[in-house]
Amino acid sequence: MAYIIEIKYASPNDRGKGGIEVNKVAIVGGGLAKFGVRKATYKELAQEAGKAVFDDIPNLDRKDVDSLFLGTAGSDRFAFQCYPAPVVAEQVGVQPSNIIMRTELACASGQAAMRAAYGSIVAGITDIALVMGVEKMNTPSMAEAQTTMAAVMDREWDGVNGMSAPPFFAMIMQRHMYEYGTTREQIAMVSVKNHDNSSTNPLGHFQKTFTLDQVMDSVMIASPIRLLDCSGITDGAGGIVMTSAERAKEFTDTPVYIEGMGQCNMGSLVTNLPNLTTWEPLKVAFRNALKMAGKEIKDLSFAEVHDCFTISEIIIYEDGGMCEKGEGGKYIEDGSPYIGGKLPINTHGGLLGTGHPLGATSIAQVVEVIEQFRGEVPKERYVGGDCALTHNLSGNANVHSVLVLGRGG
Amino acid sequence: MMVKIDMPYILDFYPLQTEEFTQIHSFFENLKEGKFTTTKCKKCGEILWQPRIVCPHCSGNEMDWIDLPQEGKLFAFTEVFYGVPLGLEQDAPFSIGIVELDGLPMSVLARIDDAHFEDLEVGQEMKLKIINLEDGRVWFRWEPKK
Repeated sequence: MAYIIEIKYASPNDRGKGGIEVNKVAIVGGGLAKFGVRKATYKELAQEAGKAVFDDIPNLDRKDVDSLFLGTAGSDRFAFQCYPAPVVAEQVGVQPSNIIMRTELACASGQAAMRAAYGSIVAGITDIALVMGVEKMNTPSMAEAQTTMAAVMDREWDGVNGMSAPPFFAMIMQRHMYEYGTTREQIAMVSVKNHDNSSTNPLGHFQKTFTLDQVMDSVMIASPIRLLDCSGITDGAGGIVMTSAERAKEFTDTPVYIEGMGQCNMGSLVTNLPNLTTWEPLKVAFRNALKMAGKEIKDLSFAEVHDCFTISEIIIYEDGGMCEKGEGGKYIEDGSPYIGGKLPINTHGGLLGTGHPLGATSIAQVVEVIEQFRGEVPKERYVGGDCALTHNLSGNANVHSVLVLGRGG
Repeated sequence: MMVKIDMPYILDFYPLQTEEFTQIHSFFENLKEGKFTTTKCKKCGEILWQPRIVCPHCSGNEMDWIDLPQEGKLFAFTEVFYGVPLGLEQDAPFSIGIVELDGLPMSVLARIDDAHFEDLEVGQEMKLKIINLEDGRVWFRWEPKK
């Protein structure tokens, strides 16, 4: 559709002598506040998440947390709280003495916080990082929440036209069906699958399952996207603790290592994106994360990916390299992304099932990986394994962020 | 000239358009005169959308204003029923589309007037419609070419 600046497809491990050594940074535990339409304020959600984290890591004294990385997309508007990092620090009872910062990357704000923590730990600045994601989205005025969401797009040239997430992904769905013959049923299967998975996830927003017909008959939001094609407007919070691989064993026998990471941005204005239905920055982010980890898609035990809308997950199958371009609909029809299938996708229920409290979403994905590796999830959605991928897109799918997580060894 | 904006400024989506607020005020002045324009970098020749004051390709900061085609073909579209931001709620449902301009490798996204989702198809011919807002500002939409 528009110009694209030449991309150097370099991963961190292509650069310099030996690149970045993997398995340097570990996640030692984490926890979540209950996601949903919560009778709770932004600060109360932060308190609940903080408790969940410290309860999960009894060996960790909160006085030893020397850095706080807070992923929050829209507290300035949803909760009318600018400068939220010290607010959250006080709520959870930490006094960061090395780094305190808030990261904002819309729907990937939580993963942005993890990336910042990773860099700080590798650089030797941070010893023990509390990485949190907190978002309060439900307020008495849904229209104001939608206004904040629409301003995630370029406000003056896209948002002004009524462009926000649902119409953007609706145009993508319309084009994907037009270009590849993807069917309404195939796309709806993503919603059915992920709601099935979240039905055993008590901390998720939704525990109700739906039939294909219920998805395809749900209320129209932005043609052809219907309500059950959309992730929820969700309140939620979560946190994880990251530290060096050396220190990780002090806190847990089951650390999760960050083996690879990749991130890529191309464009901002909708009409300046390289392509609506092929997500070029996703390809770069997946490639770089897997290359850094020395892994391929076939090595993954499962993946938690950004199904903000049903069509997103279809495109992630394709551009993430799980199937050929245009075959995403067939890929789910064949059963591949189900638990028990070739590569289970969104075992925790994804954003469709567990909700999408922007800054907390990435944290919930990683908490699922921790619990899967530890075998702490209900047997209905247990996959286990030793290598997983988490993915977030943000804004108008112009940034993609990927982590490859492993059990090390 | 100051415009009177009814909403609190931080909740208003339309760009500020006059010389005291923006260096691309010519775009809005041209639009008021019925011309749909953008900037073309004098140094490298790239046509830029949205209008820019500095070229993102070569950092050139001298621009020519060029006329854009006011017709094109529909590439992608939707009709929005819910989830509409403040200030646009009273207009819902409304359609939005991306139109590939005739004769230029450039697309422009805007609302589409006078068409529901069912009325639209890929490749359909569209033409630009200039909207004068009540507060004195100006904007643009698409409409199907009759």
